[in-house]
Amino acid sequence: MTVFRNMLLYERKNKTEQKMKVRLRNEPYLIINIFFAGVILLVFAYSGFFSPVKDNYPVTCIHEKITGEKCVSCGLSHSFSLIVRGRVDEAYEWNPYGMRIFLFFAAQLVIRVVFSVFYLRYPDTRKQLILVDCIGSGIIYLISFWPFLVNIFSGG
Amino acid sequence: MEEVKNNTGQSLGIAALITAIITFVLAVIPCVGLIAIIPGIIAIVLATVGLSQASRNSSPRGVLIAGLIIAIIATMISFSQIFVAGKIAQKADKWPNNIQNIINDVQDNVTKEIEDANVSIKIESNGDKVEINTNASKKDQEKKLEDLEGGTTQKQDSIQKHDSIQKHVIIRKKK
Repeated sequence: MTVFRNMLLYERKNKTEQKMKVRLRNEPYLIINIFFAGVILLVFAYSGFFSPVKDNYPVTCIHEKITGEKCVSCGLSHSFSLIVRGRVDEAYEWNPYGMRIFLFFAAQLVIRVVFSVFYLRYPDTRKQLILVDCIGSGIIYLISFWPFLVNIFSGG
Repeated sequence: MEEVKNNTGQSLGIAALITAIITFVLAVIPCVGLIAIIPGIIAIVLATVGLSQASRNSSPRGVLIAGLIIAIIATMISFSQIFVAGKIAQKADKWPNNIQNIINDVQDNVTKEIEDANVSIKIESNGDKVEINTNASKKDQEKKLEDLEGGTTQKQDSIQKHDSIQKHVIIRKKK
């Protein structure tokens, strides 16, 4: 009896997993959201792992190497690490735009989670949801990266 | 009967879109903007391959087209960082001249300030010391020095003519 019950449970579990897989395969929006949430968490992990005191960041500025001049994004990793550690004032000193870029990533993480939940709960509004996501994320992106965009189009 | 969806190229489309968006974020950051060319090209290739597969099997192409467009824009932005770097390098070449001009300006300012400052001149000769403290400008000091020396020397080389006398001229700016 117990064996039969276990078999039933196993079969049900397998079916649920398969359903989930099929559902995910048919929902590129969810895959993209999950992936981006992972990337953003990795960015935060990177900021937390590398220390601003030890200065052991693996990424060096290519711009500075080519031109010998510091660019607008120099000190961004330092800034992120300091924000993660709660030292916001110091973060501003390293890069004045660090905070807004960090907030962009934080907002995106929240948006990915919230929109995924809405996407699953309200299937009728999926198209509108994706449209709002695209426009909203685009606006947040422009606001956050505006100084860098200006830097590109003004020619440094 | 349930309609079966043909998803050929869909996975490639998702991969292309994700890579394209990451490229788009990286491309505008000058520090890593140039590196973003690589994922940009990868995204374009993925989207193109996916599109060709999708068009052969007449499957949906929305994600693929979105990925391709974002990848192309991101790669262009990333590529433009080369020109930005070039312009900064050009500016950097002009810096030595600017620094030289600043040094000259500072030198001029310091000389001008010293000319107008209150000065103290000490002259030592075989144990004898003469000290002149004055509030006057450079011209007045030179005149006083001439008077002290007997008025025989000329204005310009009044100090240089006394080779035998060891002189220490200390010019200090006094408050």
